[in-house]
Amino acid sequence: MKTLAARAVALALACLPLAAVADTVTVVTSFPKELTAAYKKAYEAKYPNDKLEILNKNTAAGIAYVREQAAGSRPEVFWASAPDAFEVLSGAKLLQKIGPGNPAIPAKVGNYPVNDPEGYYRGQALAGYGLMWNTRYLKANNLPEPREWADLVKPVYFGHLAISSPSRSGTTHLTVETILQGEGWNTGWEHLLAICANSAAITERSFGVPDGVSNGQFGIGLVIDFFGLAAKNSGMPVEFVYPSQTAIVPANIALVDGAKSSEGGKRFIEFTLSEEGQTLLLDPKISRLPVLPSIYAKAPAGYPNPFGGTIQAKVNFDSTLSESRYYVVVSLFDQMVTFRHKELAAAAKALYDAEKRLGGKKSAALDEARKLAFSPVIDEKQASDKALLALFKAKKTDADASKAKAKVEEEWAAKAKANYARAVELASGAK
Amino acid sequence: MRTSPSLAAVALAIAAFLVAFLVIPVATVVYTAFSDGQGGFTLAHFAAFSGISLMRESFANSLYVAGVTVGLATVIAVPLAYLTVRFQFRGAVLIQTLGVLPLVMPAFVGAAAMQMLFGRSGSVNLVLRDAFGFTLPLMEGLNGVIFVETLHYFPFILLNLSASLANIDSSMEEAAQNLGASGWRLFRKVVFPLAMPGYVAGASLVFIKVFDDLGTPLVLNVTNMLAPQAYLRVTSIGLEDPIGYVICVILVAFSVGAMGGSWWFVKRRDYALVSRGGVQAPRRTLTPWQSLLAYGWIAAMLLLVLSPHLGILLMSLSKVWSFTVLPEQLTFAHYATVFTDAKQMIWNTFLYCGLAALLDVAIGTAIAYIVLRTAIPGRQLLDHLVTVALAMPGLVLGIGYLRTFKGIDLPFGGGALTASWLIFVLAYSVRRLPYALRSCMAALTQVHPALEEAAENVGAGRWSTIRRVVVPLMMGGILAGFVTSFITAAAEISETILLTSRESLAPMSYGIYLYFQSVLGRGPGAALGVIAVSLVAVGTYLSHRLVAAGSPHQSPGGRA
Amino acid sequence: MKPVGVDIRHIALAFGATQVLKDINLVVEPGEFFALLGPSGSGKSTLLRLIAGFNQHQRGEVLIDGRDVTGIPPWKRNVGMVFQNYALWPHMTVAQNVAFGLEERKLPRAEIRDKVRAALDLVGLAEFAARRPGQLSGGQQQRVAIARTLAIEPQVLLLDEPLSNLDAKLRVQTRQELVKLQRRLGITTIFVTHDQEEALTTCQRIAVMDQGVIQQVGTPMELFDFPVNRFVAQFVGSVNLFAGRFRREGEALRFSSPALGELALPAGVEPPPGEFDLAFRPHAVHFVQGAAPASCLALDGAVEGAEFLGEFLRYEIRVAGAIVTADIPHARGRAPVAPGTPVALAVPASELRFVSA
Repeated sequence: MKTLAARAVALALACLPLAAVADTVTVVTSFPKELTAAYKKAYEAKYPNDKLEILNKNTAAGIAYVREQAAGSRPEVFWASAPDAFEVLSGAKLLQKIGPGNPAIPAKVGNYPVNDPEGYYRGQALAGYGLMWNTRYLKANNLPEPREWADLVKPVYFGHLAISSPSRSGTTHLTVETILQGEGWNTGWEHLLAICANSAAITERSFGVPDGVSNGQFGIGLVIDFFGLAAKNSGMPVEFVYPSQTAIVPANIALVDGAKSSEGGKRFIEFTLSEEGQTLLLDPKISRLPVLPSIYAKAPAGYPNPFGGTIQAKVNFDSTLSESRYYVVVSLFDQMVTFRHKELAAAAKALYDAEKRLGGKKSAALDEARKLAFSPVIDEKQASDKALLALFKAKKTDADASKAKAKVEEEWAAKAKANYARAVELASGAK
Repeated sequence: MRTSPSLAAVALAIAAFLVAFLVIPVATVVYTAFSDGQGGFTLAHFAAFSGISLMRESFANSLYVAGVTVGLATVIAVPLAYLTVRFQFRGAVLIQTLGVLPLVMPAFVGAAAMQMLFGRSGSVNLVLRDAFGFTLPLMEGLNGVIFVETLHYFPFILLNLSASLANIDSSMEEAAQNLGASGWRLFRKVVFPLAMPGYVAGASLVFIKVFDDLGTPLVLNVTNMLAPQAYLRVTSIGLEDPIGYVICVILVAFSVGAMGGSWWFVKRRDYALVSRGGVQAPRRTLTPWQSLLAYGWIAAMLLLVLSPHLGILLMSLSKVWSFTVLPEQLTFAHYATVFTDAKQMIWNTFLYCGLAALLDVAIGTAIAYIVLRTAIPGRQLLDHLVTVALAMPGLVLGIGYLRTFKGIDLPFGGGALTASWLIFVLAYSVRRLPYALRSCMAALTQVHPALEEAAENVGAGRWSTIRRVVVPLMMGGILAGFVTSFITAAAEISETILLTSRESLAPMSYGIYLYFQSVLGRGPGAALGVIAVSLVAVGTYLSHRLVAAGSPHQSPGGRA
Repeated sequence: MKPVGVDIRHIALAFGATQVLKDINLVVEPGEFFALLGPSGSGKSTLLRLIAGFNQHQRGEVLIDGRDVTGIPPWKRNVGMVFQNYALWPHMTVAQNVAFGLEERKLPRAEIRDKVRAALDLVGLAEFAARRPGQLSGGQQQRVAIARTLAIEPQVLLLDEPLSNLDAKLRVQTRQELVKLQRRLGITTIFVTHDQEEALTTCQRIAVMDQGVIQQVGTPMELFDFPVNRFVAQFVGSVNLFAGRFRREGEALRFSSPALGELALPAGVEPPPGEFDLAFRPHAVHFVQGAAPASCLALDGAVEGAEFLGEFLRYEIRVAGAIVTADIPHARGRAPVAPGTPVALAVPASELRFVSA
């Protein structure tokens, strides 16, 4: 007993220094362990005095975490895909200006600025959004390979797709915004709702989609490119394509204001943008697109190159618009899709059954049903209403605002539910 | 019965520990749920909660999942328990194994493996689709949670019910037969009601565990349940979100309610008569037909129960496992990855769980001594407080810690308490204390007070007696308590997910969870899972051995 | 209901290698109050449980009312059993306990209610119907157990040590009530006990059992007065027993015993041929002044000690190498004979028994 206790105390003492290494750089990131582990290893090898601490959180949780820490104990670096997350953080005065970095990195990819024009964050890698599928799954189920978002609305894919919820995944939010901006609010939602209706699941995190596709639980998933590429490059039976309506946006990295060791944080950011740091992205397990064009020379054949025209990014992503309606879009998606997925899928099922029954015959009831099932509960004008946007941006502790917000959400949910129910009714009655 | 100032001081210190790390955090959570932010009382948050249809749905889902799980676990456990206790038959060892196997694997680890085996394109459904053209939605949504939790938690009912059945005097059953009852009616009207205390204890435990579980729904991507909602609320909206606290209060209320309810149920009925006379029923023999049924049932259960173990092992060894019944290429690379990348996590698990378990047995021994051997007023309160910890969801305690200790720094520049490894030790030790305490209490009850009086009689002082006589005699129980605390802490995930602020501080359970969060992490995650399961299995075996070895030599002649 | 008989023929039963009952033959007459008496392990409870159907015999047959019940499960036998620990179900009220067997027989609800009332009235516990067994005293519990058994109107009533969990005073009272109840109902009753006093006072006939064998069957007085062997003599009442050999010398009969030495037996005593022990009850021993009458066995010894038991004094008297127990009635004021005092003992010839070893 005594020796055991003594040993435990010794153990405890031995571990204490862990909490207080000279320069500890804490990085909050939504990136998978394969990526962070590679950077940690390389960075610590180069700067042996620094210790890299990885804090893996999904984007939303990462923002909440940075927000809640008192100045002085915040993490040094925030590293994630979704540019809006950085807008939220810089809006909350939680980021420190670092200005543009490596001059070899171009200012724009397509029309999209690689770095934050205001200098709060930098692009660290590029990401496009696309479709990933399990080749064996498609073969077993006799499904055609998709090329475009619009392909996914076909009845044949019913129950075979997967998508994540934008409220839980920054990258999915980007996908959703890309579709909304590329196809317009109404058509965008129509396609989105149809895609979601065809989905077998709305996963909690963006990784749930590529994960499910690679192990064959789902056929096709809407994913950020590296998930698909990494899985493919690691030998999984999957394929990945960029549809034409895609946007190439940077995955970003930023220095958090009020961290303990800003110097260390800056050092790490520069490292990720250096030749060395960028080359790490080509690792098959990581498979991301570097922002430094020279790196692509080292890439294996067939590696997509946004600077070389292998990806046709037709959408000019407007991040200001995206950021302004972030909460509204996210909540709308949850109320219409995430929490009502069963009803939405039932509506789609009824529609498809009716279509089959009618054999291509025109039916007003069917058109009405389709409209009800696949239309957003608010139009673009309502969605850009200043009061509504303000309501959704209000502080959580503002009891009145959250009550009002809950009321609005409840209205959406009720309307969506009623629409889906009516759609089922109309479709099954269609003659 | 003695009292001394120094023992009273120890009692006070323990009380202070429990207040600081159990009562205050939970009270903070409850307070926040009812506070309007200006120190006033309000039900507005509850009103807001009930106004959100997602919350109402989550609440209903949690109740549904917990209820159905209890029902299915009953269906699995009752025949097994009845078989072992009442029939002469060789499968008893198998059933005992069945009773322990699921518990050595954390439910959320099993969940990932079950998806590969029973999911939409899992092995079973692939075979079914090829052979019969249909699939079973075993792992879809709430079904998956129910399926995983049922297989994981039915042993609680099995173990409690078996103990209860074994305690029923044979004459109780014979009297009923004598009056004309037999078969199913005999079981329903007499045997099962008499075993009710054990069943209720087991069932309420299953209900609490499932109702509060966070890891399994998260791994299975099910979010429309209460515990995941509380977690998502608190992590994405932030610690300020009152709805998260409302959910916590509901979790606590149901857990305490279920536990209190089962206690009240057993108390209300006088079962003291049951164990009179004390003859165990003669075991009946099975007819060949019944044997077939029994062995069939056991084999089916064993297969099901083993499936997550098997699945996780396969996952840890497979290079690619996609849309095939079994993985196609085997590799040890994932173990290599884990041993290079996750060494720190394995070490952390040993450190946190070891220290927490040490703290537990130290406090457990002290409380046992204070309750059983002293007359310090209010000593029972310590015991009750610790028992309450059993009903506290890890999620609630985790959120309570984050909120209560926010901004509290460790001395000597140790940084924030919530961002240090100490928080794990504290959280683990508080929730495992009930296990350690039960073990220590049982051990001390076996030590006859005369043995201590003899030591005092020959001149040993109070502390000397405790150190040289009491503790050595309790050692079997203390060690068993240590191992139980250790292994349950090692498998814990709810608190761990919440409290992990940096990867370098994370224990293995978090590591497994984290690995499962990336496409290529399943292999290493499974490898880490296999290591964790082996660790827990060895620990469980050890604790059984310790309990078995601990008891006989401790009682002097005089004990009845 | 017409009382029925129980006929046990050539029953043998073994648990594994242990032979518990060996060729048991027994006839219990219709309406009889019959006891199975024996020490623990004698097989009496096993035999009772066998009649109830809880134990299965390997050989022989059990006939109830002339019908072989071998192979009929307990729940179809209509044989009522009262368990030693009463086996009242704690999760049911007294009334529910009593109603149980009637419900199993699917009687109409009204009839069940009446029968429960009647059964509880029979044992005087009607006002306790709503209580739970845990709220009753030991004696009341026992009466509930009896009521529960009688409610189903069994053909045979089996009582397994029903008095052993009661205190001494209650036991006497309860056994008298049992006897009255049995006489009133006239139900064939088999009573298992290890207490000879209980058996002697309550039962019409007794089977004494030892080591799985029935030693003797008879009325209480037959067993006491004419035990057939050493075991029965010792188990039923107290006895002085001496091993030895009988020898005829002309008209005189002599008994030579290693313990008592050579004794002349009084005239008129006729031992059966073969090896037998000499037996006599302590109360048959008298102190005599001078020579004992010729009709008595005469013994000389010295007092070793005495126990005062109220009605009589139990003397331990050393006779040669043996101790003879003598119960001498006590008269008020009479002092006990001091230890060491030589005494002459006489045992009337009619009280001498010869029992097989």
